[in-house]
Amino acid sequence: MDLVRDLLDQPVVDRDGCAMGRVDGILLEVREDAPPRVVSIAIGPAVLGERLHRTVGRWIRGIEVACGVAEGRPVEIAITAVTVVNGKVHVDVAAGDTAAPAVEQRVRGWVRRLPGA
Amino acid sequence: MKKIGNLVLGVVTSIGGFVEVGSISTAAQAGSEFGFALLWAVGAAGIMLAMLVEMSGRIASISRQTIAGAVRERFGFHFQAVPLSAELLTDVLLLAAEIGGVGIALRLLTGIGFQWWIVPAAAIAWLILWFGNFTAIEDGVGLLGLVTLSFVVAAWRLHADPAALGRGLIPSVPSHDGVRFAFLAVSILGATVSPYLLNFYASGAVEEDWSAQDLWINRTTAFAGMGFGAIVSMGVLVTAALTLAPRQIRVDSYEQAALMFVPAFGRWGITLFALALGVGCLGAAVEIALNAGYLVAQAFNWTWGVEKKRADTARFSAACTGVLILGAAVAVAGFDPLRITLVSLAMTVMIMPLVVLPFLVLMNDKRFVKEHTSGAIGNVVLAVLVLLGALFAVVVVPLEVFGGG
Repeated sequence: MDLVRDLLDQPVVDRDGCAMGRVDGILLEVREDAPPRVVSIAIGPAVLGERLHRTVGRWIRGIEVACGVAEGRPVEIAITAVTVVNGKVHVDVAAGDTAAPAVEQRVRGWVRRLPGA
Repeated sequence: MKKIGNLVLGVVTSIGGFVEVGSISTAAQAGSEFGFALLWAVGAAGIMLAMLVEMSGRIASISRQTIAGAVRERFGFHFQAVPLSAELLTDVLLLAAEIGGVGIALRLLTGIGFQWWIVPAAAIAWLILWFGNFTAIEDGVGLLGLVTLSFVVAAWRLHADPAALGRGLIPSVPSHDGVRFAFLAVSILGATVSPYLLNFYASGAVEEDWSAQDLWINRTTAFAGMGFGAIVSMGVLVTAALTLAPRQIRVDSYEQAALMFVPAFGRWGITLFALALGVGCLGAAVEIALNAGYLVAQAFNWTWGVEKKRADTARFSAACTGVLILGAAVAVAGFDPLRITLVSLAMTVMIMPLVVLPFLVLMNDKRFVKEHTSGAIGNVVLAVLVLLGALFAVVVVPLEVFGGG
Protein backbone atom coordinates (compact mmCIF):
# COMPACT_ATOMS: atom_id res chain seq x y z
CA MET A 1 0.00 0.00 0.00
CA ASP A 2 1.18 3.51 -0.85
CA LEU A 3 0.38 5.43 2.33
CA VAL A 4 0.10 8.85 0.68
CA ARG A 5 -1.86 7.64 -2.35
CA ASP A 6 -4.12 5.04 -0.73
CA LEU A 7 -4.56 6.19 2.87
CA LEU A 8 -3.82 9.88 3.44
CA ASP A 9 -6.76 12.22 2.66
CA GLN A 10 -9.12 9.32 1.92
CA PRO A 11 -12.62 9.33 3.46
CA VAL A 12 -13.08 7.34 6.65
CA VAL A 13 -16.24 5.30 7.17
CA ASP A 14 -17.20 3.70 10.48
CA ARG A 15 -18.58 0.20 10.99
CA ASP A 16 -22.14 1.46 10.37
CA GLY A 17 -21.23 3.23 7.14
CA CYS A 18 -21.25 6.71 8.71
CA ALA A 19 -18.79 9.35 7.46
CA MET A 20 -16.08 10.09 10.04
CA GLY A 21 -14.06 12.67 8.12
CA ARG A 22 -10.88 11.99 6.23
CA VAL A 23 -7.47 10.57 7.12
CA ASP A 24 -5.87 13.86 8.05
CA GLY A 25 -2.67 12.33 9.37
CA ILE A 26 -0.84 9.04 9.71
CA LEU A 27 1.15 8.25 12.86
CA LEU A 28 4.31 6.25 12.32
CA GLU A 29 6.54 4.59 14.90
CA VAL A 30 10.18 4.98 14.00
CA ARG A 31 12.17 1.96 15.12
CA GLU A 32 15.96 1.65 15.29
CA ASP A 33 16.54 -1.72 13.67
CA ALA A 34 13.41 -2.04 11.58
CA PRO A 35 11.44 -0.02 9.05
CA PRO A 36 8.95 2.54 10.40
CA ARG A 37 5.59 1.07 11.32
CA VAL A 38 2.15 2.63 10.92
CA VAL A 39 0.55 2.93 14.34
CA SER A 40 -2.68 4.80 13.68
CA ILE A 41 -4.59 7.20 11.49
CA ALA A 42 -5.61 10.62 12.81
CA ILE A 43 -8.76 12.61 12.02
CA GLY A 44 -9.26 16.25 12.90
CA PRO A 45 -8.73 19.76 11.56
CA ALA A 46 -5.85 20.43 13.97
CA VAL A 47 -3.85 17.61 12.36
CA LEU A 48 -4.73 18.96 8.94
CA GLY A 49 -3.69 22.46 9.98
CA GLU A 50 -0.38 21.13 11.27
CA ARG A 51 0.30 19.68 7.84
CA LEU A 52 0.12 23.21 6.44
CA HIS A 53 2.08 24.83 9.27
CA ARG A 54 2.55 24.16 12.98
CA THR A 55 1.04 27.56 13.81
CA VAL A 56 -2.12 26.82 11.81
CA GLY A 57 -2.49 23.57 13.73
CA ARG A 58 -2.07 25.41 17.05
CA TRP A 59 -4.69 28.01 16.09
CA ILE A 60 -7.21 25.33 15.17
CA ARG A 61 -6.47 23.49 18.39
CA GLY A 62 -7.04 26.76 20.28
CA ILE A 63 -10.39 27.27 18.56
CA GLU A 64 -11.42 23.71 19.46
CA VAL A 65 -10.48 24.33 23.11
CA ALA A 66 -12.36 27.66 23.15
CA CYS A 67 -15.47 25.99 21.69
CA GLY A 68 -15.27 23.14 24.18
CA VAL A 69 -14.90 20.39 21.58
CA ALA A 70 -11.21 19.58 22.07
CA GLU A 71 -11.62 16.55 24.32
CA GLY A 72 -10.66 13.34 22.52
CA ARG A 73 -9.58 15.25 19.42
CA PRO A 74 -7.80 14.67 17.15
CA VAL A 75 -9.31 11.23 16.88
CA GLU A 76 -6.70 8.49 16.59
CA ILE A 77 -7.73 5.09 15.28
CA ALA A 78 -5.30 2.18 15.59
CA ILE A 79 -4.25 0.80 12.24
CA THR A 80 -5.38 -2.62 13.46
CA ALA A 81 -8.96 -1.27 13.42
CA VAL A 82 -8.71 -0.47 9.69
CA THR A 83 -10.56 -3.31 7.95
CA VAL A 84 -10.72 -2.39 4.26
CA VAL A 85 -9.06 0.30 2.12
CA ASN A 86 -10.81 0.57 -1.23
CA GLY A 87 -11.06 4.25 -2.03
CA LYS A 88 -12.66 4.60 1.40
CA VAL A 89 -11.00 3.66 4.67
CA HIS A 90 -13.36 1.37 6.55
CA VAL A 91 -12.71 1.14 10.28
CA ASP A 92 -14.13 -1.25 12.86
CA VAL A 93 -15.07 1.60 15.18
CA ALA A 94 -18.39 3.34 15.90
CA ALA A 95 -18.11 7.06 15.16
CA GLY A 96 -20.30 7.77 18.19
CA ASP A 97 -17.72 6.16 20.51
CA THR A 98 -15.14 8.73 19.42
CA ALA A 99 -14.97 12.53 19.43
CA ALA A 100 -15.21 12.60 15.61
CA PRO A 101 -18.84 13.85 15.54
CA ALA A 102 -18.34 16.40 18.37
CA VAL A 103 -18.42 19.47 16.12
CA GLU A 104 -21.32 18.14 14.03
CA GLN A 105 -23.30 17.52 17.23
CA ARG A 106 -22.49 20.98 18.60
CA VAL A 107 -23.57 22.65 15.34
CA ARG A 108 -26.65 20.40 15.18
CA GLY A 109 -27.75 21.82 18.52
CA TRP A 110 -27.76 25.31 16.96
CA VAL A 111 -29.31 24.23 13.66
CA ARG A 112 -32.18 22.40 15.41
CA ARG A 113 -33.36 25.72 16.85
CA LEU A 114 -34.16 26.94 13.35
CA PRO A 115 -37.53 26.14 11.75
CA GLY A 116 -37.55 23.45 9.09
CA ALA A 117 -34.32 21.84 10.30
CA MET B 1 -39.70 8.38 -20.78
CA LYS B 2 -39.00 9.71 -17.29
CA LYS B 3 -35.33 10.07 -18.24
CA ILE B 4 -36.26 12.06 -21.35
CA GLY B 5 -38.41 14.31 -19.17
CA ASN B 6 -35.49 14.77 -16.74
CA LEU B 7 -33.21 15.51 -19.65
CA VAL B 8 -35.46 18.21 -21.06
CA LEU B 9 -35.90 19.68 -17.60
CA GLY B 10 -32.11 19.57 -17.06
CA VAL B 11 -31.45 21.39 -20.32
CA VAL B 12 -34.15 23.98 -19.65
CA THR B 13 -32.92 24.65 -16.12
CA SER B 14 -29.35 24.96 -17.38
CA ILE B 15 -30.50 27.76 -19.70
CA GLY B 16 -32.32 29.45 -16.84
CA GLY B 17 -29.38 29.04 -14.49
CA PHE B 18 -26.76 30.26 -16.94
CA VAL B 19 -27.37 33.98 -16.87
CA GLU B 20 -26.50 35.95 -13.76
CA VAL B 21 -24.98 39.22 -12.75
CA GLY B 22 -21.51 38.55 -14.20
CA SER B 23 -22.63 37.38 -17.62
CA ILE B 24 -25.21 40.17 -17.95
CA SER B 25 -22.79 42.95 -16.97
CA THR B 26 -19.83 41.76 -19.07
CA ALA B 27 -21.94 41.01 -22.15
CA ALA B 28 -23.75 44.36 -21.82
CA GLN B 29 -20.44 46.22 -21.52
CA ALA B 30 -18.96 44.31 -24.45
CA GLY B 31 -21.98 45.02 -26.67
CA SER B 32 -22.25 48.70 -25.75
CA GLU B 33 -18.54 49.35 -26.35
CA PHE B 34 -17.56 47.01 -29.19
CA GLY B 35 -20.79 46.05 -30.94
CA PHE B 36 -20.83 42.39 -31.98
CA ALA B 37 -17.01 42.12 -31.98
CA LEU B 38 -16.86 40.06 -28.76
CA LEU B 39 -19.56 37.51 -29.68
CA TRP B 40 -16.81 34.96 -30.31
CA ALA B 41 -15.62 35.32 -26.69
CA VAL B 42 -19.09 34.38 -25.39
CA GLY B 43 -19.21 31.41 -27.78
CA ALA B 44 -15.70 30.18 -26.91
CA ALA B 45 -16.32 30.56 -23.17
CA GLY B 46 -19.63 28.68 -23.54
CA ILE B 47 -17.90 25.75 -25.27
CA MET B 48 -15.18 25.66 -22.58
CA LEU B 49 -17.82 25.69 -19.83
CA ALA B 50 -19.85 22.95 -21.51
CA MET B 51 -16.74 20.74 -21.77
CA LEU B 52 -15.81 21.26 -18.12
CA VAL B 53 -19.39 20.74 -16.94
CA GLU B 54 -19.59 17.50 -18.94
CA MET B 55 -16.35 16.31 -17.32
CA SER B 56 -17.61 17.22 -13.82
CA GLY B 57 -20.76 15.21 -14.47
CA ARG B 58 -18.75 12.30 -15.88
CA ILE B 59 -16.53 12.08 -12.79
CA ALA B 60 -19.61 12.28 -10.54
CA SER B 61 -21.56 9.68 -12.51
CA ILE B 62 -18.74 7.14 -12.67
CA SER B 63 -17.05 7.54 -9.29
CA ARG B 64 -19.94 9.09 -7.33
CA GLN B 65 -17.35 11.66 -6.35
CA THR B 66 -17.62 15.39 -6.67
CA ILE B 67 -14.74 17.54 -7.85
CA ALA B 68 -13.83 18.79 -4.37
CA GLY B 69 -13.70 15.26 -2.97
CA ALA B 70 -11.79 13.88 -5.94
CA VAL B 71 -9.20 16.69 -5.80
CA ARG B 72 -8.55 16.09 -2.08
CA GLU B 73 -8.13 12.36 -2.64
CA ARG B 74 -6.02 12.60 -5.77
CA PHE B 75 -3.84 15.61 -4.96
CA GLY B 76 -3.92 15.79 -1.16
CA PHE B 77 -4.76 18.68 1.12
CA HIS B 78 -1.57 20.64 0.41
CA PHE B 79 -2.64 21.16 -3.18
CA GLN B 80 -6.30 21.63 -2.36
CA ALA B 81 -5.83 24.25 0.36
CA VAL B 82 -5.03 27.06 -2.10
CA PRO B 83 -7.85 26.57 -4.67
CA LEU B 84 -10.32 25.73 -1.90
CA SER B 85 -9.58 28.97 -0.02
CA ALA B 86 -9.53 31.00 -3.24
CA GLU B 87 -12.80 29.48 -4.43
CA LEU B 88 -14.51 30.17 -1.11
CA LEU B 89 -13.30 33.78 -1.17
CA THR B 90 -14.49 34.12 -4.77
CA ASP B 91 -17.84 32.59 -3.79
CA VAL B 92 -18.29 35.24 -1.08
CA LEU B 93 -17.54 38.05 -3.55
CA LEU B 94 -19.76 36.52 -6.23
CA LEU B 95 -22.52 36.14 -3.67
CA ALA B 96 -22.18 39.81 -2.75
CA ALA B 97 -22.42 40.68 -6.44
CA GLU B 98 -25.47 38.45 -7.01
CA ILE B 99 -27.29 39.72 -3.91
CA GLY B 100 -26.42 43.25 -5.03
CA GLY B 101 -27.89 42.32 -8.44
CA VAL B 102 -31.17 41.28 -6.80
CA GLY B 103 -31.11 44.58 -4.90
CA ILE B 104 -30.60 46.55 -8.11
CA ALA B 105 -33.45 44.64 -9.77
CA LEU B 106 -35.78 45.49 -6.88
CA ARG B 107 -34.60 49.10 -6.99
CA LEU B 108 -35.54 49.26 -10.68
CA LEU B 109 -38.98 47.86 -9.82
CA THR B 110 -39.70 49.92 -6.72
CA GLY B 111 -37.42 52.97 -6.78
CA ILE B 112 -36.21 52.14 -3.24
CA GLY B 113 -32.38 52.15 -2.89
CA PHE B 114 -30.70 48.78 -3.50
CA GLN B 115 -28.99 48.67 -0.08
CA TRP B 116 -32.43 48.35 1.54
CA TRP B 117 -33.03 45.17 -0.44
CA ILE B 118 -29.79 43.35 0.44
CA VAL B 119 -30.98 41.77 3.68
CA PRO B 120 -34.44 40.77 2.30
CA ALA B 121 -32.77 39.33 -0.84
CA ALA B 122 -30.29 37.30 1.24
CA ALA B 123 -33.18 36.14 3.46
CA ILE B 124 -35.16 34.93 0.42
CA ALA B 125 -32.09 33.08 -0.90
CA TRP B 126 -31.63 31.46 2.53
CA LEU B 127 -35.30 30.43 2.73
CA ILE B 128 -35.03 28.77 -0.69
CA LEU B 129 -31.93 26.79 0.21
CA TRP B 130 -33.14 25.97 3.72
CA PHE B 131 -36.60 24.72 2.82
CA GLY B 132 -36.06 23.41 -0.73
CA ASN B 133 -34.65 20.06 -1.84
CA PHE B 134 -32.19 19.83 -4.75
CA THR B 135 -34.83 19.19 -7.39
CA ALA B 136 -37.01 22.07 -6.18
CA ILE B 137 -34.04 24.43 -6.05
CA GLU B 138 -32.58 23.44 -9.43
CA ASP B 139 -35.85 23.15 -11.33
CA GLY B 140 -37.66 26.03 -9.63
CA VAL B 141 -34.81 28.47 -9.99
CA GLY B 142 -34.02 27.25 -13.50
CA LEU B 143 -37.60 27.48 -14.75
CA LEU B 144 -38.07 30.95 -13.27
CA GLY B 145 -34.75 31.82 -14.90
CA LEU B 146 -36.32 31.27 -18.31
CA VAL B 147 -37.38 34.90 -18.03
CA THR B 148 -33.78 35.59 -19.09
CA LEU B 149 -34.79 34.33 -22.54
CA SER B 150 -36.22 37.82 -22.92
CA PHE B 151 -32.67 38.87 -23.86
CA VAL B 152 -32.90 36.60 -26.91
CA VAL B 153 -36.41 37.88 -27.69
CA ALA B 154 -35.10 41.46 -27.44
CA ALA B 155 -32.26 40.71 -29.85
CA TRP B 156 -34.76 39.06 -32.21
CA ARG B 157 -37.18 42.00 -32.12
CA LEU B 158 -34.37 44.43 -32.87
CA HIS B 159 -33.62 42.64 -36.19
CA ALA B 160 -29.88 42.11 -35.89
CA ASP B 161 -28.07 41.77 -39.21
CA PRO B 162 -27.19 38.03 -39.56
CA ALA B 163 -24.03 38.77 -41.57
CA ALA B 164 -22.77 41.14 -38.87
CA LEU B 165 -23.57 38.55 -36.20
CA GLY B 166 -21.60 35.98 -38.20
CA ARG B 167 -18.60 38.31 -38.38
CA GLY B 168 -18.80 38.78 -34.62
CA LEU B 169 -18.33 35.06 -34.11
CA ILE B 170 -14.90 35.24 -35.77
CA PRO B 171 -12.16 36.50 -33.39
CA SER B 172 -10.88 39.89 -34.48
CA VAL B 173 -8.62 42.71 -33.29
CA PRO B 174 -10.43 45.96 -32.51
CA SER B 175 -9.56 49.24 -34.18
CA HIS B 176 -9.67 51.09 -30.84
CA ASP B 177 -9.15 50.47 -27.10
CA GLY B 178 -7.27 47.17 -27.48
CA VAL B 179 -6.59 46.87 -23.74
CA ARG B 180 -10.24 47.39 -22.85
CA PHE B 181 -11.22 44.85 -25.54
CA ALA B 182 -8.83 42.27 -24.04
CA PHE B 183 -10.07 43.05 -20.53
CA LEU B 184 -13.68 42.44 -21.56
CA ALA B 185 -12.77 39.23 -23.41
CA VAL B 186 -11.07 37.88 -20.27
CA SER B 187 -13.98 39.10 -18.09
CA ILE B 188 -16.46 37.25 -20.32
CA LEU B 189 -14.42 34.08 -19.82
CA GLY B 190 -14.41 34.65 -16.05
CA ALA B 191 -18.14 35.32 -16.00
CA THR B 192 -18.93 32.20 -18.01
CA VAL B 193 -16.50 29.56 -16.74
CA SER B 194 -17.49 29.93 -13.10
CA PRO B 195 -15.86 27.30 -10.87
CA TYR B 196 -18.97 27.20 -8.68
CA LEU B 197 -21.00 25.84 -11.61
CA LEU B 198 -18.65 22.87 -11.98
CA ASN B 199 -18.78 21.59 -8.42
CA PHE B 200 -22.47 22.48 -8.11
CA TYR B 201 -23.26 20.43 -11.21
CA ALA B 202 -21.21 17.45 -9.99
CA SER B 203 -22.83 17.65 -6.56
CA GLY B 204 -26.24 17.66 -8.24
CA ALA B 205 -25.29 14.54 -10.19
CA VAL B 206 -24.39 12.79 -6.92
CA GLU B 207 -27.55 14.08 -5.19
CA GLU B 208 -29.65 12.77 -8.09
CA ASP B 209 -27.86 9.42 -8.07
CA TRP B 210 -26.47 9.52 -11.59
CA SER B 211 -24.52 6.47 -12.72
CA ALA B 212 -22.60 5.37 -15.83
CA GLN B 213 -25.97 4.80 -17.53
CA ASP B 214 -26.70 8.51 -17.24
CA LEU B 215 -23.60 9.64 -19.16
CA TRP B 216 -25.66 10.48 -22.27
CA ILE B 217 -28.00 12.61 -20.14
CA ASN B 218 -24.94 14.31 -18.68
CA ARG B 219 -23.44 14.99 -22.11
CA THR B 220 -26.67 16.32 -23.57
CA THR B 221 -27.48 18.47 -20.52
CA ALA B 222 -23.97 19.92 -20.47
CA PHE B 223 -23.69 20.78 -24.16
CA ALA B 224 -27.33 21.67 -24.95
CA GLY B 225 -27.96 23.47 -21.64
CA MET B 226 -24.73 25.46 -21.63
CA GLY B 227 -24.97 26.02 -25.39
CA PHE B 228 -28.45 27.54 -25.12
CA GLY B 229 -27.29 29.45 -22.03
CA ALA B 230 -24.46 30.96 -24.07
CA ILE B 231 -27.07 32.02 -26.65
CA VAL B 232 -28.88 33.96 -23.90
CA SER B 233 -25.59 35.68 -23.02
CA MET B 234 -25.14 36.48 -26.71
CA GLY B 235 -28.66 37.92 -26.61
CA VAL B 236 -27.52 40.36 -23.91
CA LEU B 237 -24.50 41.38 -25.97
CA VAL B 238 -26.48 41.79 -29.20
CA THR B 239 -29.26 43.76 -27.50
CA ALA B 240 -26.69 46.09 -25.89
CA ALA B 241 -24.88 46.46 -29.21
CA LEU B 242 -28.08 47.42 -31.05
CA THR B 243 -29.50 49.75 -28.41
CA LEU B 244 -26.71 51.23 -26.28
CA ALA B 245 -23.75 51.36 -28.71
CA PRO B 246 -25.47 53.66 -31.30
CA ARG B 247 -26.31 56.10 -28.48
CA GLN B 248 -22.75 55.77 -27.12
CA ILE B 249 -24.06 54.70 -23.72
CA ARG B 250 -21.34 52.88 -21.76
CA VAL B 251 -22.59 50.51 -19.10
CA ASP B 252 -21.20 52.05 -15.91
CA SER B 253 -24.16 50.85 -13.83
CA TYR B 254 -26.97 48.36 -14.04
CA GLU B 255 -29.45 51.21 -14.44
CA GLN B 256 -27.81 52.03 -17.76
CA ALA B 257 -27.85 48.36 -18.77
CA ALA B 258 -31.61 48.29 -18.14
CA LEU B 259 -32.12 50.89 -20.87
CA MET B 260 -31.25 48.27 -23.49
CA PHE B 261 -34.72 46.71 -23.16
CA VAL B 262 -36.68 49.92 -23.79
CA PRO B 263 -36.36 49.95 -27.62
CA ALA B 264 -37.43 46.28 -27.77
CA PHE B 265 -40.20 46.17 -25.16
CA GLY B 266 -41.25 49.80 -24.70
CA ARG B 267 -42.61 50.75 -21.28
CA TRP B 268 -42.35 47.14 -20.05
CA GLY B 269 -38.64 47.11 -20.88
CA ILE B 270 -37.28 48.19 -17.50
CA THR B 271 -39.67 45.83 -15.64
CA LEU B 272 -38.68 42.88 -17.81
CA PHE B 273 -34.98 43.67 -17.44
CA ALA B 274 -35.39 43.91 -13.67
CA LEU B 275 -37.18 40.55 -13.56
CA ALA B 276 -34.52 38.86 -15.70
CA LEU B 277 -31.70 40.37 -13.62
CA GLY B 278 -33.40 39.68 -10.28
CA VAL B 279 -34.38 36.08 -10.97
CA GLY B 280 -31.01 35.27 -12.60
CA CYS B 281 -29.10 36.74 -9.66
CA LEU B 282 -31.30 35.13 -7.00
CA GLY B 283 -30.88 31.72 -8.60
CA ALA B 284 -27.13 32.19 -8.83
CA ALA B 285 -26.96 33.35 -5.18
CA VAL B 286 -28.69 30.17 -4.01
CA GLU B 287 -26.42 28.00 -6.15
CA ILE B 288 -23.24 29.78 -4.99
CA ALA B 289 -24.18 29.50 -1.30
CA LEU B 290 -24.96 25.82 -1.78
CA ASN B 291 -21.73 25.29 -3.66
CA ALA B 292 -19.69 26.82 -0.84
CA GLY B 293 -21.29 24.33 1.55
CA TYR B 294 -20.65 21.48 -0.89
CA LEU B 295 -17.00 22.49 -1.28
CA VAL B 296 -16.20 22.51 2.41
CA ALA B 297 -18.28 19.45 3.29
CA GLN B 298 -16.81 17.36 0.48
CA ALA B 299 -13.23 18.46 1.16
CA PHE B 300 -13.58 17.37 4.79
CA ASN B 301 -16.02 14.48 4.19
CA TRP B 302 -18.85 15.86 6.30
CA THR B 303 -22.34 14.55 5.67
CA TRP B 304 -23.85 16.79 2.97
CA GLY B 305 -26.81 17.13 0.66
CA VAL B 306 -29.95 19.24 0.35
CA GLU B 307 -32.04 16.08 0.01
CA LYS B 308 -31.29 15.34 3.69
CA LYS B 309 -32.73 17.04 6.76
CA ARG B 310 -30.79 20.17 7.66
CA ALA B 311 -30.13 18.89 11.20
CA ASP B 312 -28.60 15.72 9.73
CA THR B 313 -26.16 17.82 7.70
CA ALA B 314 -25.58 20.44 10.37
CA ARG B 315 -22.07 21.58 9.40
CA PHE B 316 -22.93 21.61 5.69
CA SER B 317 -26.13 23.61 6.29
CA ALA B 318 -24.31 25.99 8.63
CA ALA B 319 -21.53 26.49 6.04
CA CYS B 320 -24.07 27.44 3.33
CA THR B 321 -25.75 29.85 5.75
CA GLY B 322 -22.45 31.32 6.94
CA VAL B 323 -21.21 32.05 3.42
CA LEU B 324 -24.56 33.61 2.53
CA ILE B 325 -24.31 35.89 5.58
CA LEU B 326 -20.73 36.85 4.66
CA GLY B 327 -21.76 37.63 1.06
CA ALA B 328 -24.69 39.74 2.29
CA ALA B 329 -22.35 41.55 4.72
CA VAL B 330 -20.00 42.51 1.87
CA ALA B 331 -22.99 43.65 -0.23
CA VAL B 332 -24.52 45.64 2.61
CA ALA B 333 -21.20 47.42 3.19
CA GLY B 334 -22.23 49.57 0.25
CA PHE B 335 -19.66 48.65 -2.40
CA ASP B 336 -20.78 49.31 -5.96
CA PRO B 337 -22.32 46.00 -7.18
CA LEU B 338 -20.85 46.40 -10.67
CA ARG B 339 -17.36 46.92 -9.17
CA ILE B 340 -17.72 43.85 -6.92
CA THR B 341 -18.83 41.87 -9.97
CA LEU B 342 -15.74 42.86 -11.96
CA VAL B 343 -13.39 42.11 -9.03
CA SER B 344 -15.00 38.70 -8.46
CA LEU B 345 -14.70 37.91 -12.18
CA ALA B 346 -11.01 38.88 -12.14
CA MET B 347 -10.52 36.54 -9.15
CA THR B 348 -12.35 33.77 -10.99
CA VAL B 349 -9.94 34.10 -13.91
CA MET B 350 -6.93 34.16 -11.57
CA ILE B 351 -7.87 30.87 -9.90
CA MET B 352 -8.91 29.22 -13.18
CA PRO B 353 -5.64 27.33 -13.79
CA LEU B 354 -5.85 25.81 -10.30
CA VAL B 355 -9.43 24.76 -10.98
CA VAL B 356 -8.87 23.40 -14.49
CA LEU B 357 -5.49 21.67 -14.00
CA PRO B 358 -6.93 18.90 -11.77
CA PHE B 359 -9.44 18.04 -14.51
CA LEU B 360 -6.57 17.17 -16.82
CA VAL B 361 -5.30 14.60 -14.33
CA LEU B 362 -8.65 13.33 -13.02
CA MET B 363 -10.06 12.79 -16.49
CA ASN B 364 -7.15 10.46 -17.26
CA ASP B 365 -7.18 8.58 -13.94
CA LYS B 366 -9.04 5.29 -14.22
CA ARG B 367 -9.65 5.32 -10.45
CA PHE B 368 -12.15 8.11 -11.05
CA VAL B 369 -13.51 7.66 -14.57
CA LYS B 370 -12.69 3.99 -15.28
CA GLU B 371 -12.73 3.42 -19.07
CA HIS B 372 -14.36 6.82 -19.70
CA THR B 373 -11.07 8.72 -19.77
CA SER B 374 -10.72 11.78 -21.99
CA GLY B 375 -9.64 11.28 -25.59
CA ALA B 376 -6.83 13.13 -27.35
CA ILE B 377 -9.09 16.04 -28.34
CA GLY B 378 -10.42 16.46 -24.80
CA ASN B 379 -6.90 16.40 -23.37
CA VAL B 380 -5.57 18.91 -25.90
CA VAL B 381 -8.47 21.29 -25.25
CA LEU B 382 -7.99 20.95 -21.48
CA ALA B 383 -4.23 21.55 -21.80
CA VAL B 384 -4.88 24.64 -23.92
CA LEU B 385 -7.41 25.82 -21.36
CA VAL B 386 -4.88 25.39 -18.54
CA LEU B 387 -2.26 27.35 -20.50
CA LEU B 388 -4.77 30.05 -21.45
CA GLY B 389 -5.97 30.17 -17.86
CA ALA B 390 -2.39 30.61 -16.60
CA LEU B 391 -1.78 33.35 -19.18
CA PHE B 392 -5.01 35.14 -18.28
CA ALA B 393 -4.21 34.79 -14.57
CA VAL B 394 -0.95 36.67 -15.17
CA VAL B 395 -2.47 39.41 -17.33
CA VAL B 396 -5.75 39.90 -15.48
CA VAL B 397 -4.38 42.29 -12.85
CA PRO B 398 -2.65 44.60 -15.38
CA LEU B 399 -5.81 44.46 -17.51
CA GLU B 400 -7.93 45.24 -14.45
CA VAL B 401 -5.72 48.26 -13.73
CA PHE B 402 -5.38 49.58 -17.29
CA GLY B 403 -8.55 48.34 -18.94
CA GLY B 404 -11.11 48.02 -16.20
CA GLY B 405 -11.83 51.65 -15.59
